[in-house]
Amino acid sequence: MDGAIDQRLGVALATEDAEAEVPPLKRNRRGGFVRFAAIGALLIVFVVFAIAAPGFLTRGNLTNVVEQSTVLALLAFGMSIVIIGGGGDVIRGGIDLSLGANLGLCAAVFTVAVNAGLGDATATVLTFAAGASVGLVNAFAVVGLGILPLLATLAVMNICAGLELVLTQNTVLTANSPLLAYIAGATPLGFSLTDWTFLGTALLLLVVVHATPWGLRLQAVGGSVQAARSAGLRVPLYLALSYVSAGLLVALAAIVQAARLSGSSPGSGDILLSVVLTSLMSAVFSRRLLPSIGGTILSVLFIGCLINGFQLLNVSSYWVNGVQGVLILLVVAVRSVSRRSGEV
Amino acid sequence: MSASIAAPRFRVTQLVRWVTPTALILLFVIFAVASPTFRTPGNLLHILVNNFTLPAIVALGMTLVVSAGGIDLSVGTSADIAAMVAVTLMSLGHGLALSLAVGLGGALMVGVVDAALITVLGISPFLATLGVLFVGESVQQLATNGGTPIYLVSNFPAAGLDALAHGTALGVPAPLWIVLAAVIVVQVLLGRTPFGRHVRAIGAAPQVARYSGLPVRRATWLVYLLSALLCGVSGLLLAATVKSYVPLSGNAFLLDAIGAVFVGTTISREAKPNVLGTLIGVFLFGMLHNGLLLIGWNFYWQQVAIGLLVFAVLGASFATRRLQAAD
Amino acid sequence: MTEEALALRDIVKSFGATRALDGASLVVRRGTIHGLIGQNGAGKSTIIKILGGLYQLDAGRILIHGEEPRSVTPRLVEELGVHIIHQEALLVPGLTVAEALFLGNELRHGPLLAPFSMRRRAEAIVRETFGVSLSGNMLISELSAAQRQIVQITRALLNKPRVLVFDEPTAALVRREANRLFDIIRGLRDEGTSIVYISHYLEEVRDLCDVVTILRNGRDVATVDPRTTPMAEIVSLMINRDIHEMFPKQVIPCGKAALTLQSLGKAGAYEDVTFTLHAGEILGLTGLVGSGAKEVLQTAFGLTRHDRGQILIGGKPARIGSPGRAIARRLGLVPEDRRHQGVALDISVRENMTLASLRGLTRFGLIDTRRERGQVMSLIERLGIKTPGPDARLRDLSGGNQQKVVLAKWLSAKSDIYILDEPTVAIDVAAKVEIYRLLGDLVAQGAAVLILSSDLMELQGICDRVLVMYRGRIVRRLVPAETTADEILAAATGALAPLDKAA
Repeated sequence: MDGAIDQRLGVALATEDAEAEVPPLKRNRRGGFVRFAAIGALLIVFVVFAIAAPGFLTRGNLTNVVEQSTVLALLAFGMSIVIIGGGGDVIRGGIDLSLGANLGLCAAVFTVAVNAGLGDATATVLTFAAGASVGLVNAFAVVGLGILPLLATLAVMNICAGLELVLTQNTVLTANSPLLAYIAGATPLGFSLTDWTFLGTALLLLVVVHATPWGLRLQAVGGSVQAARSAGLRVPLYLALSYVSAGLLVALAAIVQAARLSGSSPGSGDILLSVVLTSLMSAVFSRRLLPSIGGTILSVLFIGCLINGFQLLNVSSYWVNGVQGVLILLVVAVRSVSRRSGEV
Repeated sequence: MSASIAAPRFRVTQLVRWVTPTALILLFVIFAVASPTFRTPGNLLHILVNNFTLPAIVALGMTLVVSAGGIDLSVGTSADIAAMVAVTLMSLGHGLALSLAVGLGGALMVGVVDAALITVLGISPFLATLGVLFVGESVQQLATNGGTPIYLVSNFPAAGLDALAHGTALGVPAPLWIVLAAVIVVQVLLGRTPFGRHVRAIGAAPQVARYSGLPVRRATWLVYLLSALLCGVSGLLLAATVKSYVPLSGNAFLLDAIGAVFVGTTISREAKPNVLGTLIGVFLFGMLHNGLLLIGWNFYWQQVAIGLLVFAVLGASFATRRLQAAD
Repeated sequence: MTEEALALRDIVKSFGATRALDGASLVVRRGTIHGLIGQNGAGKSTIIKILGGLYQLDAGRILIHGEEPRSVTPRLVEELGVHIIHQEALLVPGLTVAEALFLGNELRHGPLLAPFSMRRRAEAIVRETFGVSLSGNMLISELSAAQRQIVQITRALLNKPRVLVFDEPTAALVRREANRLFDIIRGLRDEGTSIVYISHYLEEVRDLCDVVTILRNGRDVATVDPRTTPMAEIVSLMINRDIHEMFPKQVIPCGKAALTLQSLGKAGAYEDVTFTLHAGEILGLTGLVGSGAKEVLQTAFGLTRHDRGQILIGGKPARIGSPGRAIARRLGLVPEDRRHQGVALDISVRENMTLASLRGLTRFGLIDTRRERGQVMSLIERLGIKTPGPDARLRDLSGGNQQKVVLAKWLSAKSDIYILDEPTVAIDVAAKVEIYRLLGDLVAQGAAVLILSSDLMELQGICDRVLVMYRGRIVRRLVPAETTADEILAAATGALAPLDKAA
């Protein structure tokens, strides 16, 4: 019996013949489609405003767009880094809801410190320390305690918002300091310092996140924890660093905001949802359909142009939120529908 | 046969279920000792009516949504739209019942949009409801010229409306009766109906729900509609209390509701959203606001304290859950 | 320097109540290709995951090149030169081929990445090793399964490992790519690399390996030279004889046709599948991964659609477009992935059991909890489910008892066609036997059972007929009473030429 099988096996192996080759899968081009549609929409908005809105294309106005967008941009960079490192799943992946409240807290710290006569250097150090500490607390909660980022940063958001109120007593605080005056007034090479901050941070992060091994590994951690771990990466470290980086970006944004407003004023936390939206929207500008720094720059400018153009056209600013909301729904709908028909 | 296996082992990790109730009792005792005003029946009723009712109704809807594995960021939008529609109708001279009904219809529309985005287009609940939240803000700003409140002048059908907010029945304030009704409805739905079971199964294991042939889409629709409806009730109550519609005021409920639901999960053995836990969470927040105020902490420190408390409760429960998963 | 590249000795590992490894050993000499074979559940992947540091062992020793590592973590194992190519590709979907290849050892210009050189190097290396061209700029998520496997293997080779472990590397590859891989593996061996090679395809193992270790029930039962050992002997070593007498087979006269598949076809999955399942019958289905057998089950339960042919229930054409419809026609599916598809681990035994049958337990729209509890208690009793109580979380039950809860769910729904997908994987022997007995009871009461399994002794022990699928088609229709498990295995591994289709 056994011998018989062995014989048959021999026969079978001899006849084991050419199998039909599986044709390689067609390359998924839907990502490309979404990306071009998004960039197309950006261009259309730009062209429409350029034609319809008088003064839109002037240099003064365009730098103004950048200036108005800088705080949003810095926060959105932070959010994007957290999402890149934590993964795109909004509930289980990375998200930092404390960014807006942290902005208010940092601005308050800076203003109060300057008003207490501590000097710009000390105030700046304190501000960055505050931003980084909030990032560390988030990192501890997410990495150390294992709380869902959504909930951990929600609690931290409450704490930050409360501390801001404690510091400012819920009032507008004005601050004057050489640093703030310099940021508000100086225009090296014809651009305001705020413009330069936007530009400089954008370039720096583009390089760090998309052109260094650290950035690549951060993307890997967010893409698949298992794959990152099997490649020998220290996953918790990257996650923690993403929250701390976000905290530091918030501190920078706080100083920019303090210069723009000559101090701190309550209500900074309201920026949060715009930050979430901008950062998530950045995904459509990237081939990988994931948030990226380049995509964040584009979506910040997109929203900046939209707000500015509406102003120039005398369209009520009340439309802006709605248009943003519809945009993100459109974008994620296209993405989820294409994903559903694309992969198995 | 079934008794032969060990009875449920006592686990240190089960202690986590007592974290939230213990915090509640401790804080209650502290406040009661520190502030004589706090422990008066009048003040306790005040907490229930003013710090508990509205967020509780919203949080009950959120309990359903989170049970089904989703999240609803548009709760404030539903509440606001209901108030906006109803108050506008009343200020135009329409009757109370009609205005309230159409107001609830407005809230339901928000739920319809949420559910359609989630089930038909397959957008994740977080993003779908976030988008709706943004659109809702625009709609309100456009309708009210940027956020001007609409006040109900006294000769409008305010008598009935006032009864809704400030009336009593059998000595109990009307809003509490409404909360009670909402609690019963949600508890029965979640605990006693096939729909509730389906919702819990979808939330706990979506694939199992599919492999068991459950009507996943229909349940998802119902969950978001019910959440919107409850938020609508809450929005109408708020409008009745302040006799006006203040645009964008509903968002204040959002974070308290999410926080209460997740704090509430810590009392459940399965770490799942549950009605009692949610109510405890909402009451905890309400009591903190009231108690801290009475012992002289201002609103600012209240927020810090609440944040720290949520952080501690979540930290304790997630850390122990992680330990549980490890063994 | 020792002769042993790798020595795992007396490894024990339990998951809850199930003992996956029960003193298994694997000793690999330097510069050899060492095959590791065994049936599903024999412990192959567990031992590899322990070696890779993904699981902690309960007892036993691991020596790598004669050294005992301080602790077995993925990082440390890799530093010692052991590289594992897992069955499921561990690649980040959002990275490009070049990035994925060099992740962790990126090419740099100073502190920056060197994307263009990485891309060129990546393309060159893939072309050199596999003779295929693959753009280094494509995203992993855009690749086919075979291309991902190629990237994964290339990535492992880049690290110049001293020990390389392949876990079913050819499942996704076509013949030409597989042959190319075998050449590469032989070349690596000749350069002194030690290889562990896990496969279901016996002819591959025979052609490629110098030594083969056979695992069975968590133990190594033999280590043999595949070129001098008859294939039949290897096959019989793989098969579990101990529980042969544990199959409580009772012969039930076949009843009416319950479920009929007529010339069912689905592009890329299966072709021309025709069979009838009768009431009172247990029909076995078997085939390797990729044989299409699993897809046939999924189509029958409404989870995926078919392109051609039709399905009849009770002799009448039935449209089964969704699990809900299938359940309405009294079908029930016990899925293979129990922990994700079969049971909701975080809710109670009671809720799991009645999940698909709540409509029948309501009064005025509310669940009649007394009746529900009564039904649950009687099912617990009838199936002998060991649970602290009906309200215990499912997570706290052993695998076998969890599986019984899945069966109870369909009993509660009064199903009469039961479809089971690998129902006894990772379940201890005692629970297996109870499940077999239960299936016997079911058919005795007129139900029909279709069971997909790769445990051949199981098929032989409990089935009235067995269908063997190979590459999308039914190649054999066997009656276990007249066949040995060895023959079934030979047919499923492609070692037997298909018989004529009319069989």
